[in-house]
Amino acid sequence: MIVELSVTLSIGAGLFAVGLYGALSQTNLVMILMGVELILAAALVNLVAFWRYLHPDAMSGQMFVLIVMTVMAVEMAVGFGIAIARFRSRGSVEMEEARELKG
Amino acid sequence: MSIAILLLTLTLGAYFIAVIEGWAVHGRFSLTRPALSAVALFGRESLLARTPDRLFFEAAPVLLLVAGLLAVAVIPLAPGLIIADLATGALFLNAALAYVLVALIMAGWGPNGGYAMIGGWRFLGQFIAYAMLIVMPITAVAMRAESLSTTMIVTSQADLWNVFYQPLGFVLFVLAAMGLAWLPPLDLPNAPGDLAGGVEAEYTGVRLAVLRLARMVIILALAGAIVTFYLGGWLGPWLPGWAWSVIKMLVVTTVMLTTGRLVPRVREADLLAAGWKLGIPLALANIFLVGVIALVVDI
Amino acid sequence: MTGSVWELFFLVFFGLAAIWFGIVVFRTHSMVRSALALLFSQTAIGAMFMVMQAEFLGVLQIMMMATEMSVMALFMVMFMMDPGGMGAMEMSHQKRLSLRAGGVGLLAALAVSWLADWGPAAASIPDASRQVELLGIELLGRSMFIFESAGLTILTSMIAATMVAIAPRKPGGGT
Repeated sequence: MIVELSVTLSIGAGLFAVGLYGALSQTNLVMILMGVELILAAALVNLVAFWRYLHPDAMSGQMFVLIVMTVMAVEMAVGFGIAIARFRSRGSVEMEEARELKG
Repeated sequence: MSIAILLLTLTLGAYFIAVIEGWAVHGRFSLTRPALSAVALFGRESLLARTPDRLFFEAAPVLLLVAGLLAVAVIPLAPGLIIADLATGALFLNAALAYVLVALIMAGWGPNGGYAMIGGWRFLGQFIAYAMLIVMPITAVAMRAESLSTTMIVTSQADLWNVFYQPLGFVLFVLAAMGLAWLPPLDLPNAPGDLAGGVEAEYTGVRLAVLRLARMVIILALAGAIVTFYLGGWLGPWLPGWAWSVIKMLVVTTVMLTTGRLVPRVREADLLAAGWKLGIPLALANIFLVGVIALVVDI
Repeated sequence: MTGSVWELFFLVFFGLAAIWFGIVVFRTHSMVRSALALLFSQTAIGAMFMVMQAEFLGVLQIMMMATEMSVMALFMVMFMMDPGGMGAMEMSHQKRLSLRAGGVGLLAALAVSWLADWGPAAASIPDASRQVELLGIELLGRSMFIFESAGLTILTSMIAATMVAIAPRKPGGGT
């Protein structure tokens, strides 16, 4: 029973919950992206905790963290590109107003 | 004991940088100008903007000072004379200096004023231009040293200083360092004459003194970084190691502070185009060249 | 129980700081404060990495997130209707659903982290400079294919994002 591991995983759980609340409750695309950033950061915390307390000799744990960090950056870049295009064509990035494809 | 010596040396270094900057700005060399202006600033009234974002307004100079101090903590003055010898020292320097950007955004947004806000966002724009130009030369330097620790980087230059081994990286890093400390010609955030002081415009009294002190510490950290990465740190004949470090840092600072003023201020669009279209390919070519030379020649 | 009391204390301290800043992100009215609160949350997470002796990852997280979140602050000011937070606008929807979803996620993750048997604790950790060496060898050895393909994917998405964001040349709007 590794106490630090469980404590760190709980912190990751807390970050995930806050990020999920934000991603689901916000109407603006930029705020939704911030919620997703918090969810990915929670995943990173869990990954580093597992690496540190269970398998510190296997560097593939840190590799996974590097890949997730890179994905975070790239996803933000593409998300902001889409936000710019949408803002240019419609004048706002509010998701409540994005009803064109709604059945 | 060595920490006390180190802090004393760094304080004196920051003071001399202030003296040199006063010489560059006012044209007359005066050893007491920084001390007198600091005393004057402490005595002056602190004017506040009308509806500032108090949290950002107060926190920005402090965060700037903290970022500068953290960056200085990984600069080695002599073997063993370093505050924190991290294994990833070069990268930690870059991480600490990234908070200069955060502090200037806070300083721009906090006072709720037009000039400050434009200055703050302009700094973000110019930082995007040279952010890669700070990291990529460090990559080439770390390739030669086979380590990210600043002491290892200095000891790897025992045969040949990096300024001769990687001149392209040296030029890019010095230009990027001048931009990070918002020295002319890249002084877009405080643009004297253009933005009437920009991010420093709304700060008065004690906060302005802290802001200026923080800027001196950042210039000290950047000069220390240039000396550590490219000019061989403490290496040199006759004099003890720390004396060489100090002399080299003062020379680098003088060059950075005085030569930049001869060139007109660079426009943001031109800076971004030059940084991304010219700077990043050159930095990548630098990494490639250094890699090839490191594999072929035995230095 | 591996490690010292100080490690646990700093983990809890930085972890609670990260969660608190994360909550501030969605509670504050000022948009720039929201972006910078996210920045300090990520910095606290980077500090947690350094406490857990993953020094390279911690420094990398702190460095990357400072720049990324500052750019996000700029985009907030560009796209939000009320970046200073001076007016009182309601910026959220389906609040109860998202609170319930967050609560369910929290309880599920907490249950897994405290009730599962994670196995024996690790014996020793390579020190920081050795870790950087091993990470470099792993990067260019076993994981080279992963990183090369990740690099190509990143380049493609950068070009795609730039193409999407460039303004159309024709005066009447783009294709």
